[in-house]
Amino acid sequence: MLCQICGKREATFHFKEVINAEERELHLCEVCAKGKGLSESFFIPSFSLSNLMAGLTEFEIPPSQEIRARCPHCGLDYAQIRKKGKIGCLLCYQTFKDYLAVLLEKIQGKAYHSGKVPRKGKLESKEQRQIYKLRKDLEEAVRKEEYEKAAQLRDEIRGLE
Amino acid sequence: MTMILQKMANSSSLWLKADGPEAGIVFSCRVRLARNLENFTFPPWAKDSVMKEASEKIIEAVSKSDYLKQAELIDMNELSSTQRRFLLERHLISVEFTEGGNYRFLVVEKGEMLSLMINEEDHLRLQVILSGLQLMEAWRLSDRVDDQLEENLNYAFLPQWGYLTACPTNVGTGMRASSMLHLPALTTTHKIGDILKSISKLGLVARGLYGEGTKSEGDFFQISNQVTLGLKEEEIVDNVERVTRQVVEQEKKARQVLFKRNKTQLTDEMGRAYGVLINAHLMSSKEAINLLSKLRLGVYLDLLPGFSIRVLNELFFLITPAQLQIKEGKELSPFSRDELRAKVIREKLSSLK
Repeated sequence: MLCQICGKREATFHFKEVINAEERELHLCEVCAKGKGLSESFFIPSFSLSNLMAGLTEFEIPPSQEIRARCPHCGLDYAQIRKKGKIGCLLCYQTFKDYLAVLLEKIQGKAYHSGKVPRKGKLESKEQRQIYKLRKDLEEAVRKEEYEKAAQLRDEIRGLE
Repeated sequence: MTMILQKMANSSSLWLKADGPEAGIVFSCRVRLARNLENFTFPPWAKDSVMKEASEKIIEAVSKSDYLKQAELIDMNELSSTQRRFLLERHLISVEFTEGGNYRFLVVEKGEMLSLMINEEDHLRLQVILSGLQLMEAWRLSDRVDDQLEENLNYAFLPQWGYLTACPTNVGTGMRASSMLHLPALTTTHKIGDILKSISKLGLVARGLYGEGTKSEGDFFQISNQVTLGLKEEEIVDNVERVTRQVVEQEKKARQVLFKRNKTQLTDEMGRAYGVLINAHLMSSKEAINLLSKLRLGVYLDLLPGFSIRVLNELFFLITPAQLQIKEGKELSPFSRDELRAKVIREKLSSLK
């Protein structure tokens, strides 16, 4: 088998990754593997194929319309973010909220953060805290198929937002 | 800088001690947390001046943390590429970090169980590696260190999306929990393919280095969480730990079956592997990893009296290319490395007799 990068030398480095039952394999020769920092090394835990393969597929969602907005903090537009596959700052998340929501849903499933919260009051405003709690209740209601309650909660959240 | 690395090269990381639960099969477990600072552009887009200021803030927070104030601070720009490779081989930095770059630092605690990359893809990448399967402990420790750092840092966080990261695949908890497994029996019996596939259906990622056909390459696999948003850290850890435990049980069964059915064959393989390792004068990385993997199984099945999992764990890391060169104090050609590798192995194995 020939190396997938240079297509010339014999591949001696074989790597396999399975995500959602989808197998991806990478076969590289020593030279190209070395170029990627991978040869002769004993299992690198932080390594993943998605990091290695340029251009994140997750970002290939075509925007429904031209997005003109730029992030007021770092000055990026959505096209730049898509191209690099990397978001610029906290304000990018807010500026491109709607597009990122679609993207995140695709990558992470429909979900709100339910893990650790920084102690120093990122949820300090009362409304934020309330919305956060209502969202959790909403998720719970949907899970339990209590749709009437869910609809009620959704209206409450909308009211606060 | 050279002194610090030299010192590291002369001792083994504590997580190789094989004193954790299921260490005969689970090589190590790891928790990584990604964090960014609130008012700073994330590293992939940041100017040098921003990276500089972010690194200064983080280094200050590190110096105030009880967990990290004794740690070494290593500037990637002050290292040669071999030195950076050495840190990669020790699982302390990522492939991206081996390229160096301005204002990129590694903070590493003695014993190397706790470390921090500054200005990788995110401003902070906190990592805890422990021996065996004790992911909950790894999470608890990283949680406490994270709390301490946060006392002096403002993290980028939004209630609905949690901790914000440069890559959307890390957003939410910013957590990657993983276990590294040694699965020679499942590999030999060709069961590994199906197992990896079923793992991946559970929202987890399975990855491994593998050989073609019968050529195994150490039989090491990693299981980690795919999703970082919508679950609590404890739930993520619990998922990875539970699935790892199931794979461990399967590997145990496969080992027993192999042992019962093919004891003579196995003993023969162990003897041959040992024979080559203790007599060879030229040894490539690949060959060494394959043979050591065999011995590691042999130790578990009590076919190799006098050996311990710990010694083998350490050997895997004593023979990596950059480790050999750092210890020797100079750059070595591939041929000289193969020669030195064979010598290191011979000496270590003879000392066990």
